[in-house]
Amino acid sequence: MDIPSIIHSIEASAPGEWLRTSVKALPIVESIHVLAAATVFGSVFIVDLRLLGLPDTRRPVTLVSREVLRLTWAAFCVAVLAGMLMFTANAHTYYGNTAFRLKMLALVAAGLNMAIFHAAGLRSVARWDQGAPVPLSGRLAGAIAIVLWVSVICLARWIGFTKGYDFKIPSDTHINFQF
Amino acid sequence: MHGFADWLAGTGFSRTIQSVSWVIPSLQSIHILMIGVVFVSVLMIALRVLGRMRADQPFEAVWRRFAPWMWTGLLVMAGTGLLLITAEPVREFTALSFWLKMLLLALGVTGTALYGRGLRSQARVATGQFSGGAKAASVLLIVLWLAVIFLGRAIAYDKEVWASFSLHA
Repeated sequence: MDIPSIIHSIEASAPGEWLRTSVKALPIVESIHVLAAATVFGSVFIVDLRLLGLPDTRRPVTLVSREVLRLTWAAFCVAVLAGMLMFTANAHTYYGNTAFRLKMLALVAAGLNMAIFHAAGLRSVARWDQGAPVPLSGRLAGAIAIVLWVSVICLARWIGFTKGYDFKIPSDTHINFQF
Repeated sequence: MHGFADWLAGTGFSRTIQSVSWVIPSLQSIHILMIGVVFVSVLMIALRVLGRMRADQPFEAVWRRFAPWMWTGLLVMAGTGLLLITAEPVREFTALSFWLKMLLLALGVTGTALYGRGLRSQARVATGQFSGGAKAASVLLIVLWLAVIFLGRAIAYDKEVWASFSLHA
């Protein structure tokens, strides 16, 4: 199965159909997506700032990230679920959209940045967890994460302005005009 | 006047501005980023009172860490919000969600200021647990800001959300 036919079957699925035809489903799903995405950014921002030594280095890095990342992951799961529903409703317009593709790239980059920091940068954390400047690798990971998450949100907003609306009726749809 | 606005919005020139301009999407992006900063700051403060976040820190410390970000974020949002209203006045003023949002926003700002003042004095007097009223106020505060955020997004869907109550003609 090639990608275009996968995209087509996602869009033709029952959830896709429901999201397109229900009047209130998409606005609600979208609102939840925006709220969850903003929460991901706002909470991860606290950890990234701490890596940059802001507002100070009194609170341990490990503690700041542990307490906040619960919120980040919960919000991230909600954002992904809501985002998948939005994708399902208009799969092929999202798939062909440049801002959408760049957003997915930025998301993958943010994930890689985090994974590399966890695997390598965080190993020496005992030495700089509290009251000491974070080493360059950690500060860099924090700064890169901020740039990437800001990009994700901006690119996401750009999708809404560039994807347009596709009112083309799929060829296998039968319309019954009898009321 | 309405006819003139409709005519202007329909001209090729206006459409070109609306489709190539990066101003509105940029303002909206900043607005959404600030939602993240403000909402999470509110959450951190309210969850501290509920005993679910930074229980090892005094309330005063949590307030001092997050309140400045919350107020600054709100100020930035007021700026981007005003610019967005200027850019699309018809869209905003004909949305019931917009007016409800403004009402709850006023309540939210006043409520948060009073909440902060009240809890800081309560935290100074009593150590340990906050009163039931303080906890109820924390939940109410979260709900209030959630409503403001949802109404903001609902401006784009006034008719779908409010049906016959919508102010859209």
